[in-house]
Amino acid sequence: MQIIYTDVLVIGGGLAGQRAAIGAKRRGHDTIVLSLVPAKRSHSAAAQGGMQASLANCLGGAGDNEDIHFQDTVRGSDWGADQEVVRMFTHAAPKAIRELAAWGVPWSRVERGDHEITVDGEKQTISENEAAHGLITGRNFGGTQKWRACYVSDGTGHAMLYTMSNRAIAEGIPVHERMEAVALIHDEGRCSGAIVRNLMTGEILAYVAKATCIATGGFGRIYRASTNAIINEGMGAAIALETGRATLSNMEAVQFHPTGIFPSGILVTEGCRGDGGLLLDANGHRFMPDYEPKKKELASRDVVSRRMEQHIAAGQGVKSRFGEHLWLDIRLLGREHIDRNLREVKEICQYFLGIDPAKELIPVRPAQHYSMGGVRTNPNGESQGLRGLFAVGEAACWDIHGFNRLGGNSVAETVVAGMIVGESIADFCDSADGSINVSTALVEKFARKQTQQLANFTLASGTENAFDLTRQMQETMTSKVGIFRHGDQLQEAVNTLQNLLLRSRNINLRSATRGPNPELVAAYRLPRMLKLAQCVALGALQRTESRGAHYRDDYPQRNDLEWMQRTLAVWSEAKDELPTLSYEPLSIMRMELPPGWRGYGAKDYIEHPESALRRQEIDRIIATMPDADRHAHQAALMPFLDKLPPHLRPLNQRLSKF
Amino acid sequence: MNRKLNLWPARLDLLQSLSGLALVVFVWCHMFFESSILLGKDAMLWVTKMFEGEHFFGEPYPLLVSAIAGIIFLLVALHAILALRKFPSSYRQYHRFHLHMNGLHHSDTTLWYLQVITGFLLFFLASTHLYTVLVQPDNIGPYASSDRIWSGRFWIMYALLLLSAHLHAGAGAYRLAMKWGPASLTGSKAARHKLKTAMWCIIGFFLILGAASLATYMKLGYDHRDHIGERYMPSSHQVQQE
Amino acid sequence: MNNIPLAEEHRMLQIQILRHNPSALLCDSDKGSHLQTFEVEEALGMTLFIALNEIREEQDPSLQFDFVCRAGICGSCGMIINGRPGLACRTLTKDLPDVIVLAPLPGFELIGDLSVNTGKWMRGMSEHLETWVHNQELEEINIDVIEERMEPRLAEQIYELERCIECGCCIAACGTTQMREEFVGAAGLNQIARFRLDPRDKRSDADYYELIGNDAGVFGCMTLLGCEDMCPKNLPLATQIAFLRRRMAMTTG
Ligand SMILES: Cc1cc2nc3c(=O)[nH]c(=O)nc-3n(C[C@H](O)[C@H](O)[C@H](O)COP(=O)(O)OP(=O)(O)OC[C@H]3O[C@@H](n4cnc5c(N)ncnc54)[C@H](O)[C@@H]3O)c2cc1C
Ligand code: HEM
Ligand code: HEM
Ligand code: SF4
Ligand code: F3S
Ligand code: FES
Repeated sequence: MQIIYTDVLVIGGGLAGQRAAIGAKRRGHDTIVLSLVPAKRSHSAAAQGGMQASLANCLGGAGDNEDIHFQDTVRGSDWGADQEVVRMFTHAAPKAIRELAAWGVPWSRVERGDHEITVDGEKQTISENEAAHGLITGRNFGGTQKWRACYVSDGTGHAMLYTMSNRAIAEGIPVHERMEAVALIHDEGRCSGAIVRNLMTGEILAYVAKATCIATGGFGRIYRASTNAIINEGMGAAIALETGRATLSNMEAVQFHPTGIFPSGILVTEGCRGDGGLLLDANGHRFMPDYEPKKKELASRDVVSRRMEQHIAAGQGVKSRFGEHLWLDIRLLGREHIDRNLREVKEICQYFLGIDPAKELIPVRPAQHYSMGGVRTNPNGESQGLRGLFAVGEAACWDIHGFNRLGGNSVAETVVAGMIVGESIADFCDSADGSINVSTALVEKFARKQTQQLANFTLASGTENAFDLTRQMQETMTSKVGIFRHGDQLQEAVNTLQNLLLRSRNINLRSATRGPNPELVAAYRLPRMLKLAQCVALGALQRTESRGAHYRDDYPQRNDLEWMQRTLAVWSEAKDELPTLSYEPLSIMRMELPPGWRGYGAKDYIEHPESALRRQEIDRIIATMPDADRHAHQAALMPFLDKLPPHLRPLNQRLSKF
Repeated sequence: MNRKLNLWPARLDLLQSLSGLALVVFVWCHMFFESSILLGKDAMLWVTKMFEGEHFFGEPYPLLVSAIAGIIFLLVALHAILALRKFPSSYRQYHRFHLHMNGLHHSDTTLWYLQVITGFLLFFLASTHLYTVLVQPDNIGPYASSDRIWSGRFWIMYALLLLSAHLHAGAGAYRLAMKWGPASLTGSKAARHKLKTAMWCIIGFFLILGAASLATYMKLGYDHRDHIGERYMPSSHQVQQE
Repeated sequence: MNNIPLAEEHRMLQIQILRHNPSALLCDSDKGSHLQTFEVEEALGMTLFIALNEIREEQDPSLQFDFVCRAGICGSCGMIINGRPGLACRTLTKDLPDVIVLAPLPGFELIGDLSVNTGKWMRGMSEHLETWVHNQELEEINIDVIEERMEPRLAEQIYELERCIECGCCIAACGTTQMREEFVGAAGLNQIARFRLDPRDKRSDADYYELIGNDAGVFGCMTLLGCEDMCPKNLPLATQIAFLRRRMAMTTG
């Protein structure tokens, strides 16, 4: 077996992984990136909307700063986020975007003079400042007070990922493509690399590294309906879970988007409804007013998603060969409007559905969109359970999103966290902790286990079909651990998943090829995906409240009294059938922004007494410093700068100096 | 910065295109002169005389024609050598291109292949033609040419030459426009479409013009088959002599 | 609602796939490369992505192909569809005849069946053409201060060229690359055009000439235009190549 030695092993070639790799490499550590696919094909490329950073250049962003970005993010998270980390994030986001601008991302720019915009269906004219001309512009996004989402036309993620990948190539960082990490090598709580399967040849090899970083993105594919790429199967989080040491957190926090095209799940923008599009059921009946007489189709994302699922459950869905769905009707907007304002939607309809949305209905159904949970890390990105293991990006729960991520905060997280974690990986490698002493016997032990597992699949006299079981898991997750959650159904899901996990040990392969064998891949990924699914389902079952994207119709209130807690999951023993859950309290008394009303959505939540206490304390502290500026106030409430690498600490310059 | 760039690839590419362009211009003009026969034998004779310099110097210098032919020959040779670099150079390349073209059903790719074939043909046909003109510059004229075409059975060769020269030249001109700019400047598919339509119109025009002239030469040659070698006298002379 | 289809009546599609597994030559009994026919019942809105997955899950689990985003943005699924390169994930079967022939993109290393190593080719191209911003001062950029300005129009123009998804369709659609492996193809030339346009990249035309001023570069292009006609992102490839050709021909060193 081939053993490859390196200082830093980054598993995942998306935005997060490559940014972390660049950081480590620049500090002089040999770095190798692994990826299932060519790095530029990672799912980061799919982000269209934008990247949040409080640059405050455009008119809509005027007056924006880290504080407002911080508040939006914490409120968005429904107070599930780690506020210190949110501070680190919002402080470094402008730096990240400026770095990317220097590296070559063609960010859309502010154009001086008059522009016509549409607000609530009304045309308005705004006039951009001369002083801002040519600086990076931003657009409006849900849940934000300012226009803060910087974008590159309709291809933000694509442009960011290409620039990042090109930078990594310039730095001479090798990306070993079509390589899949299948296990982490670890001993006595110290991670020292990974066992990797070459997806082209089926060969097993080992990468031994001082520091290993998981940047494998989301795990949307445990659901049937997902806007995610089909490679987003969460293998990084899963192999961390399988160490029995590293913890995953908030796995039940899964975000759904109302209008995924059915059945493919490809996203169509909210703009369709914003501009006046309607949702219809199998009888062509407009059902949203029945549920939400006031806001109708324009209720918030999670509410609409919930109502749609409810309506389908009530038997009003349109039946098709691939399951049930509803219709999105934008015919009433007229061809001209669609051609001009909804061009992207039109193209998606044309290419993927072969329909003309000006004349025909669009089949839609809510789809899984983002996984807030992941490998639990410290603010510096290191795993809490396993030394030498780091995690970054969607695969991590660094925890700026809590129970609901704001649009545009995710790609921002990938690069900001990448900048920070790259440094801490380098620090770790430089420190005494960094050196490793790994015996080849240990490496071979781990490799042998994987080889054995794979061989078992091809020998097994099993009866189960890997593709069938995968489909059952996805079906279970979508129907029972979806948008609308209920104790009974969650229990059923847990039982089904448990059963599927047992059955997955009895898979029979029809094709015994050991090389590039898609069925074999499905077979060995399935048990791992089931473990993640189980973390989601069990976490959701035990969390008897509704917070952010996690909605329990049997517990519809947010319950700060009992649930100011982060869920932690470990899979202690390989033979276990369920993860072991524990809870990490979120300390209200250390929060800069104590729990309250989000400013939108339901106002009734169960308040924690400490929230009021902390609010008083904050008022008192602020009152003692009448002459201080916002930075001093902030530092008095919740200092965070020391957690950032020194070069990321200076203040951010803006056009207006506050 | 002081460094040595190898500028030859650029020069050769430019030279290939310029030689091609020059040839296209020549061939197209040549068609008008050569089709003067359609306007009558006198017109053709007048053109012939012009090329021999008679209108300028008072008496014919057929060597002038040889000189032009020589220059054109060199141009063709230069162009051919440069263009030959682009030919499939091994059976493997040839095979791959064929597979590719047959599957793709893409007109511009097929058009290039047509240029390769017609280029290859021109290599022989144009050389033959030019050789004829080069060694017998005085053997051009309403009757001389017609005799060669009919009685000398050159019409077969000319028909082939006509077809390949114009397909090659037309496609070449279109390619030049796309290759260097004018048409690709706008980047619009509509501009390209127009250009391509223009290309087919021009090719069509010259093929018709050429076919008509050739037919005329053949007719003249047929009528004149018993008097091979006799030169045409301008009609004004004939009147005087009578 | 009259246009909501209720009953579904569908064609039986014959999907013929060029099968070949180079790595299996070593171990398994291999039949070399051959065309295998699968029958799939067409469904409403069926794309080749859906059809191929159905074949893999229900008929032949060993069938290899690459999909990542299945939304036409990642460039993984380029293949030859009835003779022409295209993105399989956004090709609807309803736009195709009853018999659909699929083959891997030529010009790239074959991994197996419909899967080719475009990633390796593209990385090689990137390394060779140095497709990143070259700027001496990049090491010392100050990210605390307001970013450099750029004309909005220029940013848009750069993005227009940046839209390439490295799918390889232009390489497969180009007769030149089919004949000559060393040719950088339209994808490579487009990248150079993109960086040339970008004021942040300080390279001169002479620098670019060193990269593409030869027959493996811009002068190798024979203006076959397959690239432009088959690029799924509709990039203005012919315009860019013509532009570079003029620039490079005018470069003096
Ligand atoms: C349709 C869509 C639109 C979105 N739009 C936005 C938006 O507008 N704004 C925003 O902020 N966010 C958006 N997001 C979310 C955002 O794009 C992602 O969260 C983010 O890009 C994730 O980046 P990443 O680097 O963590 O992971 P990814 O980019 O997913 O990269 C994961 C990498 O890990 C590799 N990998 C995985 N498993 C393994 C393994 N076992 N071994 C080796 N390598 C492995 C993969 O090959 C890949 O390279 C959107 C998401 C979707 C689905
Ligand atoms: C005599 C032998 C000839 C041969 C072998 C030949 C061959 C070719 C070939 C292979 C090409 C394609 C080159 C490329 O794609 O880069 C070409 C291009 C061209 N040929 Fe010829 N040709 C010949 C004569 C002519 C003649 C007589 C003309 C004029 C009518 C002509 C005009 C052109 C033009 C304009 C081009 C396009 C130039 C370019 O692409 O740079 N050729 N020729
Ligand atoms: C100096 C160079 C040339 C001279 C003086 C010349 C002259 C002539 C003359 C006089 C004829 C009439 C037939 C004959 O007398 O044989 C003729 C015919 C023709 N020439 Fe040329 N020619 C020259 C170069 C070329 C070249 C380079 C080409 C193309 C590659 C070409 C293509 C043709 C064709 C196609 C015909 C037949 C026309 C028809 O069908 O009507 N000639 N040429
Ligand atoms: S230029 Fe077009 S065809 Fe070529 S790789 Fe890029 S997107 Fe694909
Ligand atoms: S198809 Fe090839 S030859 Fe040139 S114009 Fe496009 S690169
Ligand atoms: S799968 Fe991404 S483009 Fe087709």
